[in-house]
Amino acid sequence: MNNIQKLTTMAFATTFLFAACKKDDKKIEQPQPEEQELITTIKLVVKDNAGFNKSFSYKVDNGFNNNNPGTPVVDNLELSPNKTYQVEVLVLNEAENPAEDITVEVKEESHHHLFLYKSMPATGAGSLKFSNGSKDDEGNNFNQAIELTTGEAGTGSLTVTLKHEPANKNAATADEAGGETDAEAIFPVMLK
Amino acid sequence: MYRRIIMLLLCMYSISVYAQGDCKLSVDVLVSEKHNGQPVYPLTVHIDELQREFETNEKGRFTISDICEGTYTLHFHAYSYEHAVEQVTIKKSGELKFRIGHEEHIMKEVTVATERNQTLLQDKDALNKQDIAANSGKNLADMLKNVNGVNAISNGATIAKPVIHGLHSNRIVLLNNGVRQEDQQWGGEHAPNIDPFLAGNITVVKGAASVKYGTDAIAGVVLVEPAPLRRMAGTDAELNLAGFSNNRMGVASATVNHNFKQLPALSLRAQGTFKKGGNYRVPGYWVANTGVQEADYSGAIGWNKLHYGAEVFYSHFETDLGIYRGSHTGNQADLEAAIRSDKPLVPAGFTYDIARPRQHVLHDLAKVKLYRDSKVGMFHLVYGYQHNFRQEYDVLRKEVPEAQLNVTLNTQTLNLNLEHRSIGVLAGEVGVDGVQQENFIQPGDRVFIPNYRSKGGAAYAIERYKGDDWTLEGGLRYDYRWYEMFNPEGKSQQVVRYEFDYNSVSGTLGLNKQVRDNWNVSVTASNAWRAPQPNELFSSGFHHGAARVELGDKTLKPERSYNLNVASKYSWGKLSTDLSLYTQYINNFIYLEPGADLLTIRGYYKTFTYKQTNAHLSGADITGTYAWTGKWESTLKGSFLFARTTKAKDWLILMPADRLSLNTTYKTDIGKRLQECSISIDAKYVFNQYRIPRNFDSIDYPRPPQAYFLADASIGAKLNAGKQPVYLSLSIMNIFNQKYREYLDAFRYFIDQPGTNLALRIRVPIQFNNQQKDQ
Repeated sequence: MNNIQKLTTMAFATTFLFAACKKDDKKIEQPQPEEQELITTIKLVVKDNAGFNKSFSYKVDNGFNNNNPGTPVVDNLELSPNKTYQVEVLVLNEAENPAEDITVEVKEESHHHLFLYKSMPATGAGSLKFSNGSKDDEGNNFNQAIELTTGEAGTGSLTVTLKHEPANKNAATADEAGGETDAEAIFPVMLK
Repeated sequence: MYRRIIMLLLCMYSISVYAQGDCKLSVDVLVSEKHNGQPVYPLTVHIDELQREFETNEKGRFTISDICEGTYTLHFHAYSYEHAVEQVTIKKSGELKFRIGHEEHIMKEVTVATERNQTLLQDKDALNKQDIAANSGKNLADMLKNVNGVNAISNGATIAKPVIHGLHSNRIVLLNNGVRQEDQQWGGEHAPNIDPFLAGNITVVKGAASVKYGTDAIAGVVLVEPAPLRRMAGTDAELNLAGFSNNRMGVASATVNHNFKQLPALSLRAQGTFKKGGNYRVPGYWVANTGVQEADYSGAIGWNKLHYGAEVFYSHFETDLGIYRGSHTGNQADLEAAIRSDKPLVPAGFTYDIARPRQHVLHDLAKVKLYRDSKVGMFHLVYGYQHNFRQEYDVLRKEVPEAQLNVTLNTQTLNLNLEHRSIGVLAGEVGVDGVQQENFIQPGDRVFIPNYRSKGGAAYAIERYKGDDWTLEGGLRYDYRWYEMFNPEGKSQQVVRYEFDYNSVSGTLGLNKQVRDNWNVSVTASNAWRAPQPNELFSSGFHHGAARVELGDKTLKPERSYNLNVASKYSWGKLSTDLSLYTQYINNFIYLEPGADLLTIRGYYKTFTYKQTNAHLSGADITGTYAWTGKWESTLKGSFLFARTTKAKDWLILMPADRLSLNTTYKTDIGKRLQECSISIDAKYVFNQYRIPRNFDSIDYPRPPQAYFLADASIGAKLNAGKQPVYLSLSIMNIFNQKYREYLDAFRYFIDQPGTNLALRIRVPIQFNNQQKDQ
């Protein structure tokens, strides 16, 4: 019966404790809201062997708490046709000042992430081809850095998707990868 | 001590006594239920003149021996029945039969030991101790699915909450041991924090019932009531064990009751439950991260004298729940990919481990109850303190130990109730309620709903007038509720303070008539109202599972419901029927309306805004039981619901589909050692929900799942090992490993419902060398 007595005492104690201390208005602590790991920007840093070095951003400046459909600020991906470039993808939170580089975290947890690229059109004028993607810490695809080969002069689009905990690390498309989309950017492509 | 209204010693059925003429009289007493003739057990009868207490056995009987000729006052105490008093004059040995009825019948000398009495005439249905035992190990909502007209809204097999006549969450009031349960019912994935093993009886009141139970009871009320504390000297215990094959879940629960010989007023109870299950299985696949663990305990101490008493109760509920990893999708495209896939997108094996996303929820309830019988009537004073703490662990890039959401909800309630003595022809009760509540998150948490404080007060009166074969009941209640909310807004997330107050009157009017001996009809008109909840006013977050953003509206007005219910109980030979027709009009019904797509860095989301319309819900719950022979019995149940918005003249979304079920049971005794043997087969057919809004395809995809048929079976028996009874049962759910999806399951987008599940249940009631008082 010891247990019961303990329980009962506890019940009594709790009851009266609360009844007693609620008299003075206990201050409710205000939240310091913080959107967990907010991403605002996907930035492509594009280089070639001849000294070309430019970056292109896709930025959506709204998290939640905002009823308006966000308008992305997007740079046109202007590159030369029939050339090969080295691309590195950066993931940033530009709501902070200075901007927070989320890429560091993504790289630390590289086996839980996968970057995916999709070109429209897939071939021909305005298309892009991808090869030699970087590997994660377990030797599987990660693609945070990749080689990009441009097609004939023309226009198209490039979709870059960052997946978190993909089920299939060998996926070529976002659908096949499964997992959760952390960020997705669509760049207009202009090859001229 | 825990008794609800309801009963009355209705009539002394027959007193047949035979001459003897000394102090050696012996009287056999039988107490049975008026409606079905079932014995009432357990029932305590206190006889003033003898200063003794008796308890009925399972056949509803006890024997008073060696008594003298004279007049005796019998007090009847039974769980879910009212404390009733009857005087009888005993001149000879023989048999005394009492039939006790339910609340349709008037209470004359009535003392009620619970804080909130049941509205007399409202349509209701109950699960008794046997029903609860037959379903032990299930969560509360799954257990309640056995009540016609009640469904469950769920997130897979482990998280479920009850739906009464199509409505759920904040539209249902749960009374846990007489205290209104205040846990965080903000979404479909927030299940009620109640251990069903606490319950000796669970009652569902269907339809608006604000007068009795306060605001929010638009759809109905679920009353979870423990059995009364032991009143006879001695100790008893009960051990429950259950094992489930599908998720390899084990459940153990034990209760110990004690009453002191030297201090007959003092009763004690201790109870505890532990549950652990791993990933569950749908046909062909394991479902990733769907483990469950639960540990609950409770204790009660009662000091019950005949006309006054006190009781202290404390309960602790704690659970860890895994949430299917594949149900957390990034954006609309991810969700569509998951829907298109014919197998779970996250492969898994079996494990008991629970990873992110997961929930950890605590609920503590401390309650003190005092009661006193006086010339005015029976007074009850109940104070309750509830602490609810919910943690949600999101899937994060960084591996951190913290939860991303830590919400605390503290509630204090005080209720004073007087069950007054009859005033002329009127019997009834009056009372006042007070509530104080605060809800807050921790600094750094994901903003989910705003911090808020709330205070409220209410006063009510319910009176009954009893004619010969009819009862008229009327009730009125006034509620006032005040809220102070702190909502972070805009880019700088500046906290803005809001103040809201609501007040309203609600009422009930009911008539019950015993048309013939075998036909009872009741008609109830009632209303209820509900203030908009903080999530409806302020939510501005996204639902991972549904890949959508929900936006609150600060200008929402309270919801108000008007309910009309007609119930008929009719028996004819071997057939007994129970028909309940209801229609409910809800003014300012709060619902989610789809809006523009929202583009974020994660891609597109659907947005939904809380809006108001007028809704009209009508339906029928039909039960028919046919007793083929004394041993064979079949029950057919049907439940139908038509839910429409009156403004758009369209169907309401996410309403349960019509369903039919047929149960056939054979019961028999095989000798002294093997009793109450039963074999039972259940067949259930759930229709496709074709009553969906015209714009369904643009707001929800895919269409509601197809109709399905399910078959369950079970066998059970009571084994008598000497004097020790052991109850055993073996059930098999979804016998054919049927692949199906349920419209009310939020995981219908991703995975099937669970496959075959085998459950073994053992129940051992133990009596410890108790002194036999009644021989």
